[in-house]
Amino acid sequence: MTTTSPAAPPERAARRRGTPATWLRSGGLSRLAFALPMILVFLVFSWTPIVRSVVMSFQETNLLTPATWVGIDNFVAVLNDPLLGTAVRNTLYFAALALVMGFPIPILMAVLMSEVRRGKGVYSALAYLPVVVPPVVAVLLWKVFYDASPSGVFNTVLGAVGISPQPWLQSPDTAMPSLVIEATWAAAGGSIIIYLAALLSVPPELYDAAEVDGASIWRKAWHVTLPQLRNVIFVMLILQILATAQIFLEPFLFTGGGPNNATVTVLLLIYRYAFQNSLGGNYGMATALSVMLAMFLAVLSWVYFRLTNRWSTS
Amino acid sequence: MMSISRRTAAAGVTLAAGAMLLTACTSSDGAETTSSSDGSAGGTKVELRVATFPPGADAAAYEAFATQEAQFEDANPDIDVIGVEYEWTGPTFAVQLAGGSLPDVFTVPFTDSKTLLENGQLMDVTDEIDALGYTDSFNPVILDGVTGADGHIYGFPRQAYAMGLHYNRDLFEQAGLDPDDPPATWDEVREAAKAITEATGKAGYAQMAINNTGGWQLTAQTVSRGGRTQVDDGDGTYTSTINNEGTKATLEFLHDLRWVDDSFGYKVDLDWGTINQEFAAGNVGMFTSGSDVYTALVRDFGMEAGDYGLTVMPLEGEDPGTLGGGDIAVVSPTVDDATKAAAIKWIDWYYMQKLMNEAAAVADAQALADAGQAVGTPVLPVLSRELYEESQTWIADYVNVPVDQMAPFTDRIWDQTPVGEPKGKTQEIYALLDPLVQAVLTDENADIDALLTQADADAQALLDQ
Amino acid sequence: MTADTVTPAPSAAAAAPPPPGPASSRRAVRTMRRRPSLTDSDRSIVSDADRRQPRVRRAMAGVHVFLAVTLVLAGLGPLLWLAKAAVTPTQDTLRQPFALWPNGIDWANLSTAWNDIHIDQYFFNTIVIAAGAWAFQLLVATTGAYTLSVLRPRYARVLNGLVLATLFIPSVVLLVPLYLTIVDPPFLGRDHSLLNNYLAVWLPMAANAFNILLVKRFFDGLPREVIEAAQTDGAGPFRLFWSIILPMSRPILGVVSVFAIIAAWKDFLWPLLVLPDPAVQPLSVRLPAVQSQTELDVFLAALAIATIIPIAMFLIFQRVFLRSAGLGGAVKG
Repeated sequence: MTTTSPAAPPERAARRRGTPATWLRSGGLSRLAFALPMILVFLVFSWTPIVRSVVMSFQETNLLTPATWVGIDNFVAVLNDPLLGTAVRNTLYFAALALVMGFPIPILMAVLMSEVRRGKGVYSALAYLPVVVPPVVAVLLWKVFYDASPSGVFNTVLGAVGISPQPWLQSPDTAMPSLVIEATWAAAGGSIIIYLAALLSVPPELYDAAEVDGASIWRKAWHVTLPQLRNVIFVMLILQILATAQIFLEPFLFTGGGPNNATVTVLLLIYRYAFQNSLGGNYGMATALSVMLAMFLAVLSWVYFRLTNRWSTS
Repeated sequence: MMSISRRTAAAGVTLAAGAMLLTACTSSDGAETTSSSDGSAGGTKVELRVATFPPGADAAAYEAFATQEAQFEDANPDIDVIGVEYEWTGPTFAVQLAGGSLPDVFTVPFTDSKTLLENGQLMDVTDEIDALGYTDSFNPVILDGVTGADGHIYGFPRQAYAMGLHYNRDLFEQAGLDPDDPPATWDEVREAAKAITEATGKAGYAQMAINNTGGWQLTAQTVSRGGRTQVDDGDGTYTSTINNEGTKATLEFLHDLRWVDDSFGYKVDLDWGTINQEFAAGNVGMFTSGSDVYTALVRDFGMEAGDYGLTVMPLEGEDPGTLGGGDIAVVSPTVDDATKAAAIKWIDWYYMQKLMNEAAAVADAQALADAGQAVGTPVLPVLSRELYEESQTWIADYVNVPVDQMAPFTDRIWDQTPVGEPKGKTQEIYALLDPLVQAVLTDENADIDALLTQADADAQALLDQ
Repeated sequence: MTADTVTPAPSAAAAAPPPPGPASSRRAVRTMRRRPSLTDSDRSIVSDADRRQPRVRRAMAGVHVFLAVTLVLAGLGPLLWLAKAAVTPTQDTLRQPFALWPNGIDWANLSTAWNDIHIDQYFFNTIVIAAGAWAFQLLVATTGAYTLSVLRPRYARVLNGLVLATLFIPSVVLLVPLYLTIVDPPFLGRDHSLLNNYLAVWLPMAANAFNILLVKRFFDGLPREVIEAAQTDGAGPFRLFWSIILPMSRPILGVVSVFAIIAAWKDFLWPLLVLPDPAVQPLSVRLPAVQSQTELDVFLAALAIATIIPIAMFLIFQRVFLRSAGLGGAVKG
């Protein structure tokens, strides 16, 4: 907090439109001093790059020669890339799997955890533990778990219950589910804590009222708890879609997009356009695809924002 | 016996010391000089950032480097050499290149040199190579790879390799195979792989499949079966010929190992580094890679030297050859004149002198040997074969690699026809071929003909861009 | 900042624990302060009356067993395995992954990882990155929120809109242009590229609209009377900020700090791009890079070491962590 500002006398009354002199005397400079860190970092590292991203998607540039305008060529090139279809399909597949596997589990766990009277703190801590493991470490560790030899960690477990060894990351069929299992493990704890917080804020009167009506445990769960969780569930749903649409770390570190392109995701494709070409990136195509993805995500974010705003103010 | 070898060693040490004195003191040795210190006028040291080793190299490698760095700095007091970890890989190279964070001196593979110099991403070193008197000593075919359309030269070819078949002698013995008589045809490779897997449970054979190395090895084996993946039309355009019998036979070979014999193992996501790791750990019977990989196997991966075996690529079909490659030492295009001069001195001293100057070769070999680094790993000459073979006699005392275990390669490599890597969009097309290799290894019913047709069309589209 | 941290969580502060009914941001903040822990037992589905039934009691015991087994297996299991494997020779881990040291414990793995992979150095780098990111994020978030919430200059409205708008822009769209900004910074030029400079990680992380929103809403909820009284007493903007606002804002500063440090600790793609020099890389970038050249047992030891600090931090500051997680919605990282 080293913002040094010339401490101008506080003359709030003088805070009206006026000459630079009155602005200065009314503390305009010190106000600006407080605004400056925010303005600077956002200008250089947020607003300008956003605008530049849109501009670059219509340009061909490789950092070495001056950029040239190419119209919608980049978009055409991206849309004609046979890998784009694969990447979009894979990303949707990831999102769908994550929804099926990763979405109900935290809700169920949170509901159960909210019911126990003792050990809730320990359970919360245990559930949150995987979230604390740095994601890169988690992926690298799971890569060892996924060793496809019969004596691999998971294959040993499967062998103990009589299931034959799985290829995990080594087969196009099992690679994506393997990624999703790890991603679910890594993220579930965070979701559990959020649902738990939401469950705690369900008004007790509602349960009391339901019990007066003679509702069973199941009816209470179904007619009181779940409706009360509806908003959180919806928010989490959109957040999860936003997150899965940008999935990168898992395919990048687990499989590099393989085997046989089975785990190439949209973001991995963007990365490849920009950074993986051995002889300089195709920044135009990368930004063109980023802009397309961003438009899709921005719509989702907007819906999300509108809904949460409505719910939190209604 | 003992005393003789010790005496030779002692002689070697004296010789090397003399060589160091020589390089340190003389500045009037004509073309061979390494320290024309007339540029040190400013009094300030030139900082020179030079590429060293890939990530993970062991401490001994850095010790050897530090020794050489000190020798160089003694000879060139006006230059401060700073070693920078460096490895050529698609992603990091592109990022470093774009970001200007490459070392001042680094190495790039032959395959990329043409594109880089055409993009203006390499420093013109024509005059410097001329002044050193090397222009005529290089193998002309190799020099062509670093010559631009303008006739200027953009780098120092410093090392070349031919593809070879690396095998684990210990696993061969366990499988009842004769490690001194390695497979000479692809059918024998297949049989040996099967025998190894059956006897040991390890992967009899493995192959790189990701990060462009899958395409690289597929191309190498295509060539060894008489196929070519690309034809240079000679007018700056290239024709893709991926759909050829050699490539098809290679993919069928891999498919059969994986699905018929089950001798491929289960890892289909290996690249240059990880296949070395697997091989060094004794999990892989055979694999193909550059003949110079032994250095890395012992330096970075802890390979047991006694288990190592190397032979030539099996050749079959019409007009087969052995894919070769190598790299060139280049200077970043952005450095100033003083740094450039220092960079040239470093390249000459560190990379070139040991190829042609007995004293430098001995000093280099000694520094490496003292630090326990490999000396004598088989490579191909960038200069003449005669000079290469002569240079091997200079350093004979320091050679510490198991030469006998490499004899199947060194005895026969000169009979094979060297073939260069495809020139058009090399890395992009390697990237495009990766999924083919992965497909036959992960899909028992992969339609090889359809894959080849598709890849050929995609490659041609890339080449026509 | 980068794609894998998935930041766009607009107003998750208000959204995450959305107390049904009237829950203005001010309320949300107050509830947060009032209820410091998630573990307070509260009214839930199964009532006390229910619990007296034997059938329900047996079921609840079953729930306990289920939770204990699942959470220990899933939450603790992988970490315990890692701890075991970190001191087990490679071949034992490969052949019998679940055997407990059939051939003895290999403590040397830890020192080898520490010394040869230079975990110490990358650990230090990671801490430097996290500390800087924390400082810059806190600086920008508090001064920015102070401007928007308390000082409110005439341009505050526009500024607020511009900052909030960035919440809708997914970070992925920034990846390439931001990278080029670092390579070729404005006003400075390519010769002063910020590559390999920690500012390249710290500053973009500070441009975090979510933090500003979070802190601004907290400032909005502070009692106006206190602020006005201080101003009447002649406190200038700086004294007001330093002596009045910040001391009242400890809870929210704690939350933002947790977010900032975790995000910096976890970040991968962005440091991978802007810190190409291994000497300055954090653990998250370094570990994948050395994997293929490192023997498995040593590598697992390195992973274990890299996990210890975050776990220790979590165990010590458990309450802050869990509270932030409950508050922060699905802000990953």
